[in-house]
Amino acid sequence: MNLLLSLLATTLTFATPITLGAMSGLACERAGVVNIAIEGMMLSAAFAGFWAAVTTGNLYIAIVAAIVVGVLMSALHAALAITCKVDQIISSTVINILGFGLTSYLYGQWYARNAPDTPGTLPSVPLPGTSVTIRVLALVAIAIVLALHFVLKNTAWGLRVRAVGEHPRAADTVGINVRRVRYSAVLVGGALAGLGGAHFVPGYVPSFSPGMTAGYGFIALAAMIFGKWRPLGAWAAALFFGFTLALQITLQTYNVPIDTRLIGALPYLATLIVLAGFVGRSTPPAADGVPY
Amino acid sequence: MERFVKRREFLALSLAATLSATLAACGAATPTATPPAAGGAAGSTGGKKLKVGLVTDVGSVNDKSFNQSSYEGIVRAQKELGSEIKYVETKDAKDYSKNIDQFVQEKYDVIVTVGFAIGEATLAAAKASPSIKFIGVDQFIASGAELPNLAGLTFEEDKAGYLAGALAAMVTKTKNLGGVFATDTVPPVWRFGEGYRAGIKATDPSVQIQIIYHSDVGLDKTFTDPAWGKATALAMFDKGADIVFGGGGNTGNGALAGAAERKDKGVLCIGVDTDQYETVTEAQPVILTSAIKLLTPGVFNLVKAVQDNAFKSGNVVGDVGLAPFHQQESKVTAEMKARIDKLTADLKSGAVKTGVPPVKP
Repeated sequence: MNLLLSLLATTLTFATPITLGAMSGLACERAGVVNIAIEGMMLSAAFAGFWAAVTTGNLYIAIVAAIVVGVLMSALHAALAITCKVDQIISSTVINILGFGLTSYLYGQWYARNAPDTPGTLPSVPLPGTSVTIRVLALVAIAIVLALHFVLKNTAWGLRVRAVGEHPRAADTVGINVRRVRYSAVLVGGALAGLGGAHFVPGYVPSFSPGMTAGYGFIALAAMIFGKWRPLGAWAAALFFGFTLALQITLQTYNVPIDTRLIGALPYLATLIVLAGFVGRSTPPAADGVPY
Repeated sequence: MERFVKRREFLALSLAATLSATLAACGAATPTATPPAAGGAAGSTGGKKLKVGLVTDVGSVNDKSFNQSSYEGIVRAQKELGSEIKYVETKDAKDYSKNIDQFVQEKYDVIVTVGFAIGEATLAAAKASPSIKFIGVDQFIASGAELPNLAGLTFEEDKAGYLAGALAAMVTKTKNLGGVFATDTVPPVWRFGEGYRAGIKATDPSVQIQIIYHSDVGLDKTFTDPAWGKATALAMFDKGADIVFGGGGNTGNGALAGAAERKDKGVLCIGVDTDQYETVTEAQPVILTSAIKLLTPGVFNLVKAVQDNAFKSGNVVGDVGLAPFHQQESKVTAEMKARIDKLTADLKSGAVKTGVPPVKP
């Protein structure tokens, strides 16, 4: 029982940045703006979180800083993709390159000789009746999934986002400002990626290291596709991916003779299978990646 | 059909983007000069002042681990020998040769390269520039590949890991020990892990051992994933471990951060390569010791040998040991210390063997 609970806690921890990243991608893409820049946005946000935490000594200011930088990076993406109509794959790639280069450079410049630690990380809350604790941001991530599900489905903004993602011309004809809706969706996506970055620093690890998002932003992208661009689906995918990561650890601690590289490849394998159309269809929004 | 093409295109583009993100890492590395230390050439042995360049493994000179302690070796050369020093931080494994070449172009006297992974590039550069002395930290030179201007400074990580395992097995209360390591495909990391396992088994066979390598991701990520290191350490504590040994760049540091979070539960951790009490402040209350390679004196001695015209090429074996116990001094009894001292001597003399081969079979 304890083992299962521990596995659950580890799964949730790994799933948190994947979930937040997938929601970030989803918010953008449902509005028709491709976002493969989740990794770059999260990494920049993690650096901002680190910088703010060591500068102000306040973890909550650090979270705000991470979100702000996530939004700034997404604003750049929006400006390139929506206003300048740059190919969105290229504009996303620019963000990823910029995120890695800029954070590595600034880290080297500011902290090269003496890297401080943040004043702790965000707390965990105990699961009632057990010895297992759950990270606060893991709970926040779950709330965000439910909120995004509700907002996309039941609010005017959500309907507009879906409209400009599926058929921007039709939306335009009924008086929706396509650009404005797309901008708002991309900025929301940036804020979510920012929160995903905050999960790393100051959420979980007390120090920044270049490239520390270690590909979770790309796994998030896969989760979004695996979940067919729907919040609940993407969340389930993120949990599954998080579970494979947690399972790997558990199997190894019990010396189960299975090659962990195989389990490590599971998320990608699963995504390929979904992409190939074996498990239902995974269809992106019709106008995804098409400038308007 | 159109849909299908779209999806396939999307995948291809996603993959291309991943690739570009990796590529993004290259370039932009320029040598960074370190301001001369006060008191400069006080200890210089005369002769011309050496120009010493250092190329890091992927990571920075303040990685609180491997690059840092090698770098401190050339900083000591700057202080004691008056050497002129510079370093280049490698951002991507593809840049090794390019970064070494910057120092070759500037005609440096000594080029120190850090890490197992940069070994091939070092060998090629040493072959091409016979007038420059190369020091490869953590690079074992295979027989037949020796060059007169290349010294490989290696450490018997298995012995350091063995000492850590022996101490942990004596200190543990739950009879359950964990180890979180970056990868089993880089021999030094693997030898730390397996030496640790051997040291535990030899000291107390009844101890349960949980050892995990982060080998499920590529070499570009395996050392830079502190979130994984922390999650893994926490999972081990959940399963009853009370001491976790973390090894391998920031991934290993993540394991130490995991122990720090459980400091109220009485858990401990063991650092690697350098005395991590000095470097991972967060974990100070829980660091039992660190399994250290004496990298700084190792690098310094080789640079000094060049200065003294006593450079010896080939494989040079540096010393290993355990770092001070700091706040955990009270947990290590005099009897334990005596056993560790004896083991350190016996491992060095060969009276005790770890049984760990140089590379994973």
